[in-house]
Amino acid sequence: MPRYYFHLRHGSNLSRRAVDEEGDELSGPEAVRPHALKVARDLIDRTRTDIVRDWFTCAFEVTDEAGRSVMTVPFAEIVEPDEGGHFMPD
Amino acid sequence: MSQPDQAAVSNRLLRAMSAEDYAGLAPHLVPIELPLGEKLIDINAPVSHLHFMEAGISSITTDGANGKVEVGMVGREGLVGASPVLLGTDRVPHDHFVQMAGEGLRIEAGALVAAMDASTTLRRLLLRYVQTEIVQVRQTAYINAIYSIEARLARWLLMCLDRVDGNELALKHEFLSMMLGVQRSGVTLALQALEGSGRIRGRRMRIVVLDREGLEEVSNGGYGAPEAEYARLIEGT
Repeated sequence: MPRYYFHLRHGSNLSRRAVDEEGDELSGPEAVRPHALKVARDLIDRTRTDIVRDWFTCAFEVTDEAGRSVMTVPFAEIVEPDEGGHFMPD
Repeated sequence: MSQPDQAAVSNRLLRAMSAEDYAGLAPHLVPIELPLGEKLIDINAPVSHLHFMEAGISSITTDGANGKVEVGMVGREGLVGASPVLLGTDRVPHDHFVQMAGEGLRIEAGALVAAMDASTTLRRLLLRYVQTEIVQVRQTAYINAIYSIEARLARWLLMCLDRVDGNELALKHEFLSMMLGVQRSGVTLALQALEGSGRIRGRRMRIVVLDREGLEEVSNGGYGAPEAEYARLIEGT
């Protein structure tokens, strides 16, 4: 299975980068965006930090094993948390 | 087999025992290697042996639908298996495995319980040790509820540092992610911040602590109280 590296872009103008040296094994390129969004959602929901003021301004810059850019996934792409199963009164 | 001399052991509990209590336990202590990943206690399996840690670190983890997270840490200050066995049960719903390779002195559960039943001073010391585990885990609950990832990471690194010789820790971010219950990106981010302020130096799979006091500052009071309580209860300082 191919390995992808999820570098975290943050800070003003996304000028800062937390380099992912370890990566995650995924089934293929189609799994990259869902994985990035899942991790982003968890960071937004649960991770307290003084380093990132607003998670929604962050992005994952994803590279492959050869170091080539695969895609950039902005955290803002996460949809509102009402998708999937929440009870919505009519 | 030759038994280790009390002055030669590294385990702080064994060192804190009266010479008499130690002499009673010594014939039952078996030195063993503790390789990385070794299971010391399996979830809900009978605890046949306890381990006085001499070097290395054992993690207590909880496993659930949302993943595995560390909920306790035992190194040379402690005894793996103490809380179930000393409090009168033979199993515990948590995994205990070697997180950093080392060595230990193994003792059969029955032998330790018999020694404890025979000595009020030993009972007092070991139950005080269980209290220090409770204090540690309550602190963890507190930290996990309200502290930032960088403070939690700083505390965790300090706790590891207390349990190793030197200032270097061999750790993958993936592993830290599991230990702290945070996405790997969050760990990387926090490590980068600690590195940026000169408190650590990070290399692939390796963290060198450069400024211990600086880490204590970052932990923002998260580190220290349980460690002081251990010193007070076990070592009388």
